[in-house]
Amino acid sequence: MSKNFYHYPVWVRLWHLTNAILCLFLIVTGFSMLYSDPDRALVVKFQRAVSIHNVCGVLLTISYTAFVIGNIFTENGRHYLIAIRGMAERLWKQARYYGFGYFKGEESPFPVTGNRKFNPLQQVSYVGVMYFVLPMLFVTGWALMFPEFILKRFLGFSGVFLTDQFHVILGFLVVIFLFIHLYVSTMGKSPLSNFRSIITGWQESH
Amino acid sequence: MIIRKLLLLLYFLPLLASPDAAGQETDTVKSVRGASNSLYAEDNENNCLVCHGRLVYSLTDTTTGTTRKQLMSEHNLVVPDMFYNSVHWSFNCLDCHAEGFKTFPHPLETRFESSWGCIDCHGYDPNYAQYRFEEIDAEYQRSIHYTATEGLITCWKCHDPHYYNPLARQTTGGREYIIRSNEMCLRCHGNSDVMGLINDENVSIVLPKHEWLPDVDRHMEAVRCIDCHTRMNDSVLVAHEVMPADSAVQGCAECHSQNSILMGTLYKYVAQETRVEKGFLNGVILRNESYVIGANRSKFISFTGLFLIGMTIAIAMVHTFFRIIIKRKKIVHE
Repeated sequence: MSKNFYHYPVWVRLWHLTNAILCLFLIVTGFSMLYSDPDRALVVKFQRAVSIHNVCGVLLTISYTAFVIGNIFTENGRHYLIAIRGMAERLWKQARYYGFGYFKGEESPFPVTGNRKFNPLQQVSYVGVMYFVLPMLFVTGWALMFPEFILKRFLGFSGVFLTDQFHVILGFLVVIFLFIHLYVSTMGKSPLSNFRSIITGWQESH
Repeated sequence: MIIRKLLLLLYFLPLLASPDAAGQETDTVKSVRGASNSLYAEDNENNCLVCHGRLVYSLTDTTTGTTRKQLMSEHNLVVPDMFYNSVHWSFNCLDCHAEGFKTFPHPLETRFESSWGCIDCHGYDPNYAQYRFEEIDAEYQRSIHYTATEGLITCWKCHDPHYYNPLARQTTGGREYIIRSNEMCLRCHGNSDVMGLINDENVSIVLPKHEWLPDVDRHMEAVRCIDCHTRMNDSVLVAHEVMPADSAVQGCAECHSQNSILMGTLYKYVAQETRVEKGFLNGVILRNESYVIGANRSKFISFTGLFLIGMTIAIAMVHTFFRIIIKRKKIVHE
């Protein structure tokens, strides 16, 4: 018998939807900018991709600000506080469950409860992406719009070149995260139950 | 809670900084230029420009009363219309020139007047901070123009203060900008007579020295002299540390590579100029032309990124495959 927990209040669902849409636009236009050549556009024409990418980047910064403020002033923020002690053991337990235990029909080592929305692997990856990768993407993205703030040379490389490469690498990390995030979301009570949760706000324990 | 708020502030600190717009010339400022708005136009016209403002001037011998027309040397001529449309349009001639010029004939010592440099008026002024005059002056003092001539080649040899307007705002950019920029160098380096100012020997003109370059003409049209002959500093819009000829860039890869000197400086230059001209929304967000297609592409990162994404998808597919197998087994078992 599974229980339902109201883990996604309206503001989190609205932020998540905005975040998802903007990220999709950013990924598609980011790839278009990275892989286009003058004669052949990839999905979106280069110059249009630059404009859309910039607009979505600015909007994502605003939406991210709302998310951080929401986490500071509401209960949602506590899900992103990682207990360092015993973390490696918890991560291993969860990884082992995804790799083996899940197939053997074992119970989830860290099931969803009223106090726990994320398992340890989710928690670490969400904190990594939300509090390290995204802020660095914003800093490098805005720096490319205001390049006078970029160091002129660093370790023999042009500062603009390095900033751009760092931005691209972080972008790839977000894409990889997105695929893992989507896939792990299919491993709830049923393949679609987690997708329902982010629409209705109620999450099923499994 | 305080730590979390500080972290939040730290994350957004770089975003709070915006470029200093002080000192930017707006169209409104430009529209007030002109002799009719200058407080000193009449004074200038009745004194200095009565001779120096025209190609043909009249000289009267006050003893005999004889008047004779003379030609003004082009080096001492100031075209009034161009002066009143320059950035220094509102000045009185004697704001910058020696008091001795008040008398005529001008006393000999006026020939030895020391002219003000840009830094003398614009240095350490917060209104001009964004142009980094202090850094430009430091670069100039390290340049061959200063060190090899004991300061004889001053700012004014390249930037005539009577007509000065930032070059980027006089041109539509691109080739026109490059040609005008190079004309500034060729005024001296393309004229062996003028080069006699610093060298008594016969100085050959500049172009034959570039014959080693493949496709010389295309390079001359597409590259500014300063792109190869100055030490690049991308915090200053236009580098001023002109190097000795044998230190100039001669390796192809220094320009023709993704991690090039030019890429960094031009990206910053275009980004800043477009923002000044079109504003943040149009210049930076909607029509940002500083990002050039393929300019910063790293094949290694592009390939590795795609490879890792492919691996992630492959692992998810293998995991899905086993999930389906297990589920089928369960169904059969039940």
